[in-house]
Amino acid sequence: MTIAIGKAIQEGRNLVEPEAYELLEAYGVSVPRHRVVNSAEQAEVASAELGYPVVAKIVSPDVLHKTELGGVLLNLNDAAAVRAAYRQIVERSRQARAALRGVLISRMAPPGIEVIAGLTQDAQFGPVVMFGLGGIFVEVYRDVSFRLIPLTELDAAAMIREIKASPVLQGVRGGRPADLKALADLLLTVSRMAVENPEIAEMDLNPIIVYEEGLSVVDARVLLHHKTAPA
Amino acid sequence: MPAGSLSFKSRESLQALFCPQSVAVIGASTAPEKLGYQIFKNILDAGFPGTVHPINPKATEILGRRCYPSIDAIPDQVDLATIIIPAPFVADTIRQCGKRGVKGAIVISGGFSETGPEGEVLQNQLVEAARESNVAVIGPNCQGVNNPHHPLCASWPLLTRRGGVAIVSQSGTVGAALMDWASQEELGVSTFVSLGNRADVDEADLIHYFAQDPHTRTIAIYMEGVKAAPKFLQAVRQCRKPLVILKAGRTPKGRKAAESHTRSLAGRDEVYEGVFRQLGIHRADDLEELYDFSKALAYLPRPKGRRLLIVTSSGGSGILATDMAENTGLDVAPLPEEMARKLRAVLPKHCIVANPLDLTGDANAEMYRQVVEAAGPHFDIVGLIFGDPIPGASAVVGTDPLQLVIYLGGAEVERHERLLFHRKGIPVFPTPERGIRALSELLR
Repeated sequence: MTIAIGKAIQEGRNLVEPEAYELLEAYGVSVPRHRVVNSAEQAEVASAELGYPVVAKIVSPDVLHKTELGGVLLNLNDAAAVRAAYRQIVERSRQARAALRGVLISRMAPPGIEVIAGLTQDAQFGPVVMFGLGGIFVEVYRDVSFRLIPLTELDAAAMIREIKASPVLQGVRGGRPADLKALADLLLTVSRMAVENPEIAEMDLNPIIVYEEGLSVVDARVLLHHKTAPA
Repeated sequence: MPAGSLSFKSRESLQALFCPQSVAVIGASTAPEKLGYQIFKNILDAGFPGTVHPINPKATEILGRRCYPSIDAIPDQVDLATIIIPAPFVADTIRQCGKRGVKGAIVISGGFSETGPEGEVLQNQLVEAARESNVAVIGPNCQGVNNPHHPLCASWPLLTRRGGVAIVSQSGTVGAALMDWASQEELGVSTFVSLGNRADVDEADLIHYFAQDPHTRTIAIYMEGVKAAPKFLQAVRQCRKPLVILKAGRTPKGRKAAESHTRSLAGRDEVYEGVFRQLGIHRADDLEELYDFSKALAYLPRPKGRRLLIVTSSGGSGILATDMAENTGLDVAPLPEEMARKLRAVLPKHCIVANPLDLTGDANAEMYRQVVEAAGPHFDIVGLIFGDPIPGASAVVGTDPLQLVIYLGGAEVERHERLLFHRKGIPVFPTPERGIRALSELLR
């Protein structure tokens, strides 16, 4: 169990995004360069260091769906925009009565093919790894593949191949093919993380941006199993 | 999860259900319209090799056999009880059976968990009685067991044809339909088991059992959901025989219907899809696929590769077969020039020597033989479509290279030839699409 998971379980909460990033990085998964800041000034300094454009995201154990709350502000191009975004996130968290643990500033990831991967609990089979293409493919067409953990390399390759939209990953309309090896490695890593950290109940990596070489997990949500507190 | 729930039913207890030496029919009836009569009669008519005792306190004799008032009154050993009495009496009856050394019981009676909370209580009592008395129970709410190899037909309808596919079904009718088709085609089954509410014996026990059964080559399952995932996974991982599953309840309304039919948790279909693929289970999308896939996997060897030559007397059938082959990853490769030259020399001029190879409507068995012979070195599979009445078709088909037989539009000749094929152990498929689709499962 990583330190972050242990601490979160002790505090009876799920991982906040910087911790999820940390967990992913510990397993060798690329995430955007980022800093957690606690003031508009720090936000400005961090952004200059990371390089524009940046993204600002709320860090709060009370907020599962950051976007719905207005806690994610994309494409910030200068210091003024970053300061305004910081203040806006503080205000939103106050309105929502969510405990704020800072604001995450990260480098905006360049465009690529968006996919999603994760771990969910099936009522019958227990933990399963999930994979699909981002956007409408999963939501509208339910074009997803699942496998039980632990995954083998063959399973990971099959999961990628068997979704209907798989040709999109090979490159269509002059687009470059996605790094399928990196993607397969990511699915194997999700499986390994789940096996080695049984405290992880759910993991939602959405979106993951896949490039011709490599990929970046832009947004990560990790929910933990909590023993119910004694009444 | 109760301790020991991962362990499978012992071979001995399941043998009592499928190959008993002696059977008691509890609730046997003198009224021909009752199941208690039909099942008793089917056991006798199928030629059960041991003793069969009817039990019914209100009758003295059924079909010429002395009737006993209870299991206690039977003087000799009984291995299997087939129970067709009202639900509230079943649990006690199982206890009595256990005391008499009965090892297995098939509970046909309904009125258990499928009917609501009161039935649920009765089912729990049944399970408790079964565990305490060490009796393996199939059902309740089921259509029984038919093992034509023994033979034991504690089920209906009366079917006796022996074959290599074990049918395990959560629905009695669905399983019986498969068995009926196999019977009509003279292919038969190894054993038919209707699981019903599967209060005790479940699909995992049966996968475990049939994986070792010498008569079973392939296991075909109709299910609405697995009963216990860990046990199911373990049984499948240990099974070295092809497993074909039709999993119903794919849509939200279908899932709901499954829940009220057998109280099954149907689960997320995408997860089933992934798990089945991961475990190498052949997933059938409908009843015909369940039948066809099992038939292909039980009676055809695995091809050496994907190169498929389609030979047909019907142009249309050849195209249907080609489309299905393309869609299922088979390689309808062009004819090598050498082979084409050889065939043009022996076949009539109007034949289209290509792939598909169209012998046209006046094709005869000898032409098919010549094509198969020429194809040997170049193709892994020859798909033979007999699209007309072609007498002697069954005489020219062999196994090298693998030959897939599709026969349609041949009326009486076809029906006659199909049985000849099946008696030789070569499966015949009724349409190009069904044949090629089933074939593609051999290469999964």
